[in-house]
Amino acid sequence: MKERTFLNIIDPVKDKMYRLALRLLTSKEAAEDATQEVILKLWDRKEKIKHYANVEAFAMTVTKNYCLDQLKSKKNSHLRIVHQNYESNAPSLQSEIEVNDEMALLGRIVEKLPEQQKMIFQLRDIEQYEYEEIAEIMEMNQTAIRVALSRARKAIRENLIKKHNYGIQ
Amino acid sequence: MEFNKIEKLLERYDEGRTSVAEENLLREYFLKNEVPPHLSSYKLIFRYTSEQKDERLETQTKMGSSSRKIAWSSIAAIFIVAVGLYFFNESSQDLNQNDISSVSDEEMAIQKTKETLNMVSQLMNEGTADLVYLQEFNKTTNKILKTD
Repeated sequence: MKERTFLNIIDPVKDKMYRLALRLLTSKEAAEDATQEVILKLWDRKEKIKHYANVEAFAMTVTKNYCLDQLKSKKNSHLRIVHQNYESNAPSLQSEIEVNDEMALLGRIVEKLPEQQKMIFQLRDIEQYEYEEIAEIMEMNQTAIRVALSRARKAIRENLIKKHNYGIQ
Repeated sequence: MEFNKIEKLLERYDEGRTSVAEENLLREYFLKNEVPPHLSSYKLIFRYTSEQKDERLETQTKMGSSSRKIAWSSIAAIFIVAVGLYFFNESSQDLNQNDISSVSDEEMAIQKTKETLNMVSQLMNEGTADLVYLQEFNKTTNKILKTD
């Protein structure tokens, strides 16, 4: 396989891989490194890739596993991943700030979800994969995915409502 | 779209039983319309999920070139070392063979050995000659220590 054909396969997927890595690793630099690493891994295995029916799902699975490995090794060495993407302090309209705050709040809520729910939420609600594809990526059955997704959606909304009520009372 | 239809869809959405198309309908509805306050949390979530999709990988992907360079340079390094070792072995073998063949008959060998041993002992004697000064130390220590 030539580099050009490989890039043509990877290009539409690489943003999705990056977003999944970003969801799990939270720092942009770490997510970029992870994506790059995974693409290199796929490049090394380029001859095998041809035989996979769904290359995109395979790429996403490799990304998922790589990020989980990263998290594991970080935990083992007692390193915490610190959120490094500070918001810019540029002045903006009040309403815009409020919306941005809400989005940041949602980001924090999603960040607190268990890793599995986080990934499934990312794959379904943000990347809009079908359940079959998610099952392939996550190496789980579809029922378990629906359950985890339902839990994630409910948890996000409950947390959001809880935070809002605090603000009012 | 009628409102109760939306509410039904939301119920199924919470259960994880909506299709991607239905979820897109919901997303579109919530992004475009004002919704009653008890559904505003959905509006935020849909907004969040559609915004998150804009995140892009900015760095250019490049592969192969760097690792391939390393591979080639390591091959070159191995080749140079191998060639070096080969020539080194060749030349050292030559030296050994010359040494053996230069001394052909036994008497010559004995003569040569004697010569070298003589030279070594001479050098040794020259070395010990300088050590005479050390006698001084013994003399002084003898003054301090009683010797029977």
